[in-house]
Amino acid sequence: MKVRVIKMLGEFGKVIPVTRFCWMTCIIVFLYSCGNQNPTYEPLPKTVDFNFHIRPILVQNCYLCHGPDPSSRKADLRLDTFEGATAALKEGGYAVVPGKPGQSELMLRINHEHEDKIMPPPETNSKLTLREKALLEKWIKQGAEWKPHWAFIKPNLSTEDQKADIDEFIDRELSQKKLTKASPADKNTLIRRVAYLLTGLPPTPEAVNDFVSNTSEKAYEDMVDTYLASAAYGERWARHWMDLVRYAETKGHEFDYPITGAWKYRDYLIRAFNNDLPYDQLLTEHLAGDLVTHKRYDSETGIQESQIATAFYAMGEGTHSPVDVKQDEANRIDNMIDVTTKTFQGLTVSCAKCHDHKFDPITAADYYAMYGVMESTRFTPLEADLTYDNEVSAKEALELQEYIKSTVVQNLKTKETEKAQIDQQITPNTGSSFKKLGDFRETDFDGWKTTGLAFGNSTTLGNPILAQGTGKLMFLDAGRASSKTFGPGVLGTLRSPDFILENDFIGVRAKGEHSTIRIIIDNFQLIQWPIYGELTLAVDSKKWQNYKFNVEPWKGHKAYIEILPGTYNTHNFELSPTAFVEAEYAIAYNTEWPGKIPNSSKEDGTEFLGASEVKDVNSAIRHGEIKLEFPELLAAVDSSTQLSKPLKSNAFIYGVSDGSAIDSPVFIRGRYQEPSEEKVPRRFLSVLPEGDKPFVSEGSGRLELAEAMLHKDNPLTSRVMVNRIWHHLFGKGIVETVDNYGLQGKLPSHPELLDHLALKFQEDEWSIKNMVKYIVMSNAFKRSTSLDSEASKIDPLNTYLASFPVRRLESEAIRDGILAVTESLDNTLCGPPVPTYLTEFMGGRGKPEVSGPLDGAGRRSIYQEVRRNFLEPMMTTFDRPIPFTTFGRRDVTNVPAQSLILMNDPFVIQQSELMAQKLLEEPNLTFDQRIQWVYMRMFSRKPTENEISNAAKFMDTVKQMKASNEMETDNELDLWKEYCHSVFNLKEFIYLI
Amino acid sequence: MRRPLSRREMLTICKGGFGSLAFMSLFGVGALSCNRSKSGIIESANDLQLGPHYLPKAKNVIFLYMDGGVSQVDSFDPKPRLAKENGQDPRSKFKVDATQFDNVGKILKSPWEFKQYGECGMPVSELFPHIATCVDDIALIRSMTSQFPEHTNANYFLHTGSGLQGRPSMGSWMTYGLGSENQNIPGYVVLDGGLIPPGGLDNFKNGFLPASYQASILRAGPQPVANIIPKEKIPNLQEQKLDFIKNLDNDQLAAMGEADAIESAISNYELAYKMQSSIPELTEFKEETEATKRLYGFDSDDPHTRGYAAQCLLARRLVERGVRFIELTCPKVNADRWDQHGNLKDGHERNAHAVDQPIAGLIKDLKSRGLLEETLVVWTGEFGRTPFAQGKDGRDHNPSAFSMWMAGAGVKGGTIFGKTDEYGYRVIQNEVTVHDLHATMMHLLGIDHERLTFRFGGRDIRLTDVHGHVIKDILA
Repeated sequence: MKVRVIKMLGEFGKVIPVTRFCWMTCIIVFLYSCGNQNPTYEPLPKTVDFNFHIRPILVQNCYLCHGPDPSSRKADLRLDTFEGATAALKEGGYAVVPGKPGQSELMLRINHEHEDKIMPPPETNSKLTLREKALLEKWIKQGAEWKPHWAFIKPNLSTEDQKADIDEFIDRELSQKKLTKASPADKNTLIRRVAYLLTGLPPTPEAVNDFVSNTSEKAYEDMVDTYLASAAYGERWARHWMDLVRYAETKGHEFDYPITGAWKYRDYLIRAFNNDLPYDQLLTEHLAGDLVTHKRYDSETGIQESQIATAFYAMGEGTHSPVDVKQDEANRIDNMIDVTTKTFQGLTVSCAKCHDHKFDPITAADYYAMYGVMESTRFTPLEADLTYDNEVSAKEALELQEYIKSTVVQNLKTKETEKAQIDQQITPNTGSSFKKLGDFRETDFDGWKTTGLAFGNSTTLGNPILAQGTGKLMFLDAGRASSKTFGPGVLGTLRSPDFILENDFIGVRAKGEHSTIRIIIDNFQLIQWPIYGELTLAVDSKKWQNYKFNVEPWKGHKAYIEILPGTYNTHNFELSPTAFVEAEYAIAYNTEWPGKIPNSSKEDGTEFLGASEVKDVNSAIRHGEIKLEFPELLAAVDSSTQLSKPLKSNAFIYGVSDGSAIDSPVFIRGRYQEPSEEKVPRRFLSVLPEGDKPFVSEGSGRLELAEAMLHKDNPLTSRVMVNRIWHHLFGKGIVETVDNYGLQGKLPSHPELLDHLALKFQEDEWSIKNMVKYIVMSNAFKRSTSLDSEASKIDPLNTYLASFPVRRLESEAIRDGILAVTESLDNTLCGPPVPTYLTEFMGGRGKPEVSGPLDGAGRRSIYQEVRRNFLEPMMTTFDRPIPFTTFGRRDVTNVPAQSLILMNDPFVIQQSELMAQKLLEEPNLTFDQRIQWVYMRMFSRKPTENEISNAAKFMDTVKQMKASNEMETDNELDLWKEYCHSVFNLKEFIYLI
Repeated sequence: MRRPLSRREMLTICKGGFGSLAFMSLFGVGALSCNRSKSGIIESANDLQLGPHYLPKAKNVIFLYMDGGVSQVDSFDPKPRLAKENGQDPRSKFKVDATQFDNVGKILKSPWEFKQYGECGMPVSELFPHIATCVDDIALIRSMTSQFPEHTNANYFLHTGSGLQGRPSMGSWMTYGLGSENQNIPGYVVLDGGLIPPGGLDNFKNGFLPASYQASILRAGPQPVANIIPKEKIPNLQEQKLDFIKNLDNDQLAAMGEADAIESAISNYELAYKMQSSIPELTEFKEETEATKRLYGFDSDDPHTRGYAAQCLLARRLVERGVRFIELTCPKVNADRWDQHGNLKDGHERNAHAVDQPIAGLIKDLKSRGLLEETLVVWTGEFGRTPFAQGKDGRDHNPSAFSMWMAGAGVKGGTIFGKTDEYGYRVIQNEVTVHDLHATMMHLLGIDHERLTFRFGGRDIRLTDVHGHVIKDILA
């Protein structure tokens, strides 16, 4: 017993609402269990189930030395597989002989009397209870059946269960445990519960009155529908999601640099939840929104949504000038793997970074298969407000440009052009060798990849330049990559494939305005002094220049070149309306820039002209040999220009795009300095369906990753999400460890219910709103919180939901609730964050110069800026997690700092006064009515007589105190603000009871 | 599984009654402190987590953080060879690692002389004339290393045992393990001297441990802790309000039946209320004698010395009140922290002058009151500095060697442990890692660093990860 209790401390400490409760419990249970050797316990189950009875014992006591990880395995014995447990032991005998506990070495050893023989060994501090031993014995007797871990078996229901609903599953357990259900909650409680849990805000007094007086059978359902349809629903559920993806608007570390447009991703989430974006699509857009073939556009604004979701990859910490840039990449990718696998699969894949997972069937190879996916992914600024209309305009403008070009070319091709002698003379290399990394003087981008619109589909080669008015062909444009396809100020990037730095220098011939060229080494983005400053150059000259980068210190590292209009202003991406960049080629060289870089002449067989032909044509035009006019094309030119005008970009997010496909070696012991010889192909987790198929797509394989997670046989994706929804509604998941479904996670309290919900979720086309509604409509959800003492003895943690659990509101709901009841809530939806209010206790580098407003401009908490190094004290004090990894379940602590905020924080004081003001503005209220006014707002119910008389007594006392301190007593505001402040401090305000 | 008891049942069982329960919760009662056996030694392996693992030598820690990285060759690790080879190219002498600023200058001799002090004869530079008088209480480690040459990573590493953001800090771990001894003051306090180190408040956060274990930031001034001063202008008005609140809350509770969470939240107010008086009292030095104040440097001409003196005196007062872990951050002298990439002489002198006398005063004061026997004083930066110049007259970051020292509970005074090469650039003997430092600090507090774990993300995580050895040679 002791052992079990102690083991609870870690994850359990977080589950129980009051931390202290847990500690005390442990101590006392410990005291109680001392000297209590009575072997009576709950009767053993008829059939001992491996997953629900045996594996927990083995995981807790045996797997550290006899589990899946071979590096820590002792005596060559593994107890995680049937084969392992029944194999012949080195010392003779068998650990497990199915059907024969007497012959099973395992039974012998757990009951052994000698200290050096007993298992588990005393130094592990593990000790099996009598019940555990009896379970093991019975299970072996019954044949020692092994099953895969429950979470890896596809959700499955018996025919009978297929017809059941939530309440049937819940009631079944309740009657088995002989638990009496609590009565249904009253209507005031219900509307407050639904309003807070669905929208994070209290119901208005009007809504309460309407609901209470509505006697229709559909009253409850209508009320639920109203809140589901409210815009505040998206704000509430987006914030839940933000805990999973470590949402922040700055990168933390030394200077807390901004994450470009993080809030645009937050708004994406709000829209997604409000529009009930199907979960499979939400998942796909997160993992591969930039790669999906059918982009999704917001029906109202026409903004392309899909790619915005990829910002979640970029929400991690950003290191300032790491000396070991490869290690920095490994850390970054580790965090991405950790967040991705916990969020979507409820698995802790990061545990397999240094060795195979100690408990779960996740290998180091699985980890490095995912590592390759992340390593092949590049961070990039993306346009946040790209609309469908603009995409269409761009497409049409490009078509026009190509039409103009092909019309001219066809005309030229019918002309006999004299082949001018091509100047083939190349300035000989003066001993300086170089390597071409990219040449844009022909039509294509030479294998480089673009994102965004700016660079179009090809270089400028052969674009006809026509005189205004006449349409006279002036010349054909030379070849270069240009971000001016649609004019300046349009976002786009041009990036080279990955290459290994072998030369001292990299050179790019370019020109432009307000633009940037960067050398990205090991995907490192925060390029700046003191180490990396030379790896970024501003392009700010309209004349061709040679841009040189000294990369000598990083020889041997993987790198790519990034050319883009715009600048990173202390890492915040900005794009001036006049910004553009053009490039001819990029090279790697040693010592001096080589004299001349010859064209790589290409026979690409397109309908268009190559560089040498263009040169010929231009020479012919110059010499008057070609005289052509295309007045009929002028309208097309004009249309193209008109279509291009609205394409300037002005809002950005930091998301991802695909880079070169890289398969990673396994890093031995997690050290990149010790790579394995063989590389692991990019793929999903081998234990899950499709997990052993290497990804075949050209880039990262993120789209295939999403598809694998959504495979119909994947046992986790649906379970994980429905359980998160359940967790947010009941305060506790069916699987309590909402981010960990592995062997160290908790078993589901209602496994059939979980499977029921998981299957229903998929059948219902992954509708989150439908699932929320389905749960909220259940009787289990509508029960009151009052638990009879008998029930609390049988089920003290309320696992079986005989009553609705009492729960404290989250930090956001507390703050937003205050604003709502004082009527100072500005319920504007979405938009840029409100700067953090800085207290004198918030210091350090990167501190903003100006503090935000005390009341956060009255906006909801989700819109308050999240600066990693300056987290809002009220939010963290009430347990909003620190944004560094996935937190599907918040702690619920009880600390004096929370009381001190409600007692003394200037925000609460300010709001109390506001509330009193609003109260006094109400005309003609009697004292009782005033108290009722307050109670309806704060608690969604009328005060009791006792509460009114208490209030009267309190007000009298305050008045007397003011009088005896010779203060004005007829200032009503002064008196009522003390009352309002006190009421904010009532537990009922921050608890759902 | 046995059913946990309800709070109500606990109330009846616990002799201390309501008050003692309130005490358990607040600053996170320690995993180890609940049930110390009389001997202080745990007999059964299963008692792990129910008391310290060993008989503790130290009850409290004062962590004097020298933010930015003190130069070891200018403070506690004299290197005559630097004087001999001053101005020569370091690359002709030894392999130079990549540095943060990549601006490697010439070998730079120390601008300060060293002298031997105390019975032990420990050499200390002119930077620290006052600390030099305490060397017989000090165990000096000259062979510290870090893994990171960047401030933020190195700060996180030193504070949390990991170079990345988000892990619990050592103070959180130690209060998680042991709890606080005082119910009216948090168990883990950071005295903000003016400079929050790079990496920000995350250096002092609870990470994945419950929020009760995060540091409370204390500042000098009329409001030392956030929201600690009642806003009510009339005396006793707040009490009136709290009474009113408590009555209504209790009525609510009575109507609800079992509601442990609500009960705890109610009792939490009592503690918050008590904190309001006990914390401001802390920062009033009325009962301190002039002699004590002078010992710390309250009469110094240097305002930064006076400021740090107040911090040090406050640290002693916190120790007296049973606060488990106290960290002091650096004062804001006019030369950035200890991070002298240029102008070494001026910057180090300003920083040293601010902290030298207050630290010596603290050690002497603790000693004269018998508190040094149970208080571990730790002095360290996040890394050292290069023996060659950065540019002309600065020094760059050096994670390959630095000096730190400990004094007090369980520490063998007058010891020098570990050795660097002739330039003070790299450790050549008895390397001590940050994990070793943590293991040793925990050991002195009675905690086995391998056994204090918290399960998060599927792993039982330790402050020392999978590393760390107790440095036995410096223990008394």
